[in-house]
Formats: sequence, C-alpha cells, structure tokens
Amino acid sequence: MRIEFRLPSLGADMDSALLTAWLKKPGDPIAHGEPIVTVETAKGLIDVEAYENGRVVDLIVEPGTTVPVGAVLAHLEVEHPSPTAASAPPRPDATPAVAAAQPSEALPPREAFLPSEAGKPPPSTPSATPRPSAGHPRVSPAARRRAQELGLSQDLLEQSAAGAILHVADVEQLAATRAVTGSAAAAAPDPRIAMRAAIGAAMARAKREIPHYYLGQAVDFGAARDWLARYNAGVPVQDRLIEAVLIAKAVALAAARFEGFNGRFSDGRFEPATAVHAGVAIALRGGGLVAPAVLDADRKDLPTLMRDFSALVTRVRAGRMRSGEFAAATITLTSLGADGADVLYPIINPPQVAIVGAGAVREQAVVRDGQLAIRPTLTLALAADHRVTDGRAGSRFLRAIAELLQHPDTL
Amino acid sequence: MQTAEIQAKLLDRLTRIAPDIDPRRIVADQDFRDQFDFDSMDALHFAVAVSEAFGIPIPDSDTGQLTSLQKAVDFVQARLASKA
Repeated sequence: MRIEFRLPSLGADMDSALLTAWLKKPGDPIAHGEPIVTVETAKGLIDVEAYENGRVVDLIVEPGTTVPVGAVLAHLEVEHPSPTAASAPPRPDATPAVAAAQPSEALPPREAFLPSEAGKPPPSTPSATPRPSAGHPRVSPAARRRAQELGLSQDLLEQSAAGAILHVADVEQLAATRAVTGSAAAAAPDPRIAMRAAIGAAMARAKREIPHYYLGQAVDFGAARDWLARYNAGVPVQDRLIEAVLIAKAVALAAARFEGFNGRFSDGRFEPATAVHAGVAIALRGGGLVAPAVLDADRKDLPTLMRDFSALVTRVRAGRMRSGEFAAATITLTSLGADGADVLYPIINPPQVAIVGAGAVREQAVVRDGQLAIRPTLTLALAADHRVTDGRAGSRFLRAIAELLQHPDTL
Repeated sequence: MQTAEIQAKLLDRLTRIAPDIDPRRIVADQDFRDQFDFDSMDALHFAVAVSEAFGIPIPDSDTGQLTSLQKAVDFVQARLASKA
C-alpha cells in the first residue's frame, strides 16, 4: 500500500525543519527504524526513521527546503501501514507550539512506546569516539557556528564533508578558498536563538497546560558512591560508570512500578507506557538542552545503560540525533552533576507526566541512627502532573528511588 | 614524546570526543569544567581517549588529574617517562 511519509513532530518545541539530505532514493528498500531523511531542527540534525518495512516510491521535497510538521516528504510503498503512522494529517489550524507538541499523533502510539521491540534499537557504541556513518555528511556544531559566521552555505558544507566530519579548521580552509557572498549568513537564523525559542515554547506550554506539583527527597548517597568507587577501581577506564547512570537506573526501575509517572498525557487522558524509555536531559555547549530517550532503561544492566547513555551524549553533542529517541521518552531525568546546585526543580517535558531532577551530591550533616553524621547526600526533586497523580503517590515514587539507591548492587 | 606532540594528540582527541569545542579557543591551564561546561561524562570520555591514545592505564583515582589541557600534558608526560 502506498502511503505519504510526513515530517513528524519531534518534540513539543518543533514546528518546522530544514530538510538537509535524503538517505534513500526512489526504489530503495526501507526497514522499520531505518533512517530515511536528515532534517535540521533547533535541536540539531535528526535522522527521521521509517515506521514500516517497504520501499521508497518518490521523494517530494528537495534538500535545502524548510517544511512544516506534517508536510509530505515522500511516498512509500509499505507492507502493513499503521493507521496513524507517518501519514498523520498536519494540523494547520493549531498554533505552531501546540501543533508541534503532539508527537503521539504523528507516530503509531504502540510503536512510539516500544520502538525497540519492532525492529532496530539504536546500536550502542562502546567507544566514545563518534564515527561518521556512510553517506552522512557531518559538520561539528562548533564548525557549523563558524561556517555561519563566515557565510558558508549548508549545501557547500554538506558537499565538502563527503562522509567525513568537518571541524572548525576545515570550515576556515573552505572559506579561504571560496568567494563568499555573505548572503547565506544573512539568510540563516542563529541556531542558538532558535534553540532558546524552541525551549521557551515547550516550557511555556508545559507551565500553561500541566498542573505541576513538586516534591523533594534527600537521599543518602553513601552506599551508591562506595559501590561505584569499588566497581570503577576494578574495571578498565572504558568500562567505568558515572553517578548519573545509577540514578537513571533507579528512576527507571521505580517508573516501571509506578505507572502514574511513566507515560504520556494526550487528548485529555493519561496513557500509561508499557516500557520505560528514560529521557535524559543533555546540555549542549553552544547553549540549550535536549532530552532524547535511552530505550528500555529499566531492563538494561548498568554497563549496557552506561554504553547507551554515553553513545547518546556523544551523538547529541556532535549534532546527530534520531527521531525515535525524541518521540519515545516516557519519563525524564535531569541531573546537574558535581558542580551543580543542591536542588533542581524541573519542568515536565510534555506530553510526559513526570520528571526527576537530581542536584549535586554534597556532604551534609544528617541524623542517622539517632546520631549526627556527615553523609554524601543527593537531593531529588520530582515534578509530576496533578491530572494523573497527587503528592502521596509522588512521595512513594520518590521513596522508591531513594530505597533503590541504598542497594546499588541490585540496580 | 615531545610536549608539542603530546599536546597536539590530546587536542585531536578532545575535539573528537567533544566536537562542539573549538580547539583554537582552548586555554591550556584553565579547567575544562569552567571552560567548556565539562561534565562527568565528558571527563570519562576524555580519560578513555587519553588512555587509548597513549597506551597508558588510567586508574579511577587519577582521572582527577586530567581536568585541563596542561594537567593532561603533565600527566601523560609523567606516565610515559615512568614507562620508559
């Protein structure tokens, strides 16, 4: 059956994207989970994946074109089309921020929740070094910024990259050998401004639509820290774990047990998820934040989770993401790291219904067994959706995470 | 191995693990965390890269010595000297 392949919404903060490259041509076979096209959004470059098996019939949109969410990009011949798949209709009547905030409408709900069951989970990359994949011209974010300053067009960069990663020096060399008109620089929007606008739109929508409640819980992090130190002392550097992975696993395990915190709210009701895809907030050095998901985080052991998380961070910071990772998250963890503030009060990423914020682990004076003691303490803050749960359920959820972190060997 | 060679190799690895860093703006003696918002994942990636690039083991207790380009150069130099 012939279907329209449309630009899906890849988060609450997206209303359009620039089509940068086709990864398939007419006649090419496609498999579920396979990237078909690369688009550039405020978040960076995202590979949009196929939802079904089949083949490409024709390509409608030329690279270099900016298209709205819902626009038909190509026609595909597929075996078993899902009713709401990439053929979801656009929403011309809605405001951009709201239209962009409905990823569940652009994706088959089951598959959006369980992408790894239906075919290809994103391969984990054991090495921290990003590898260019065949046919994917890549430009580092720093080089992209420099190219913009120098007025080099996107097309020129993509042609020059030819499968390799372009760095700042390559871009400058390119600029030196080209007569640059400067018109490209004038026409292209500043990606940092676009990123801030996208975050602003998504968070304003979250604050407007979601009745947040907030809870905080101090967690004794001594057992987790001791276990981590012992574990890391016994493995080579490439197999080491970081604190955030232990916290992510504890959140994922708790999310699997407490369904009111794991899922999405759409069309006026809560839809619990059957798997836990943990969104992880990743800060970008140029400014901004993205929160793609580590799939099936509750079912992965710590080394696997670490590898997947590590590969995700590397890819995202290199400006390369996959559409499935953005549509999939069922709950999010945001962690400030060692030099962050004590407490992070997070904002829910719609259409999810909960987010856990982790502050920096600090030595604090606490009462333990009736005595004053100095303990490494992690303060977790939960923001959850009052349309789905209330403070008592939230307290149980947070306590479950705290309890899991007392037994790191079982994570 | 000469200091310049070590530094060039470290810079190369640094921009590979963190392609969003402009290598020409690196201040050698400034902490990566202050300069580039390095987090624990970046620090670990850098330790892995240093270990692979120079073939030296990096115990967990030593990762705190790789917090700036200059410190990393000193660390690698010391390790290579003790290996030789």
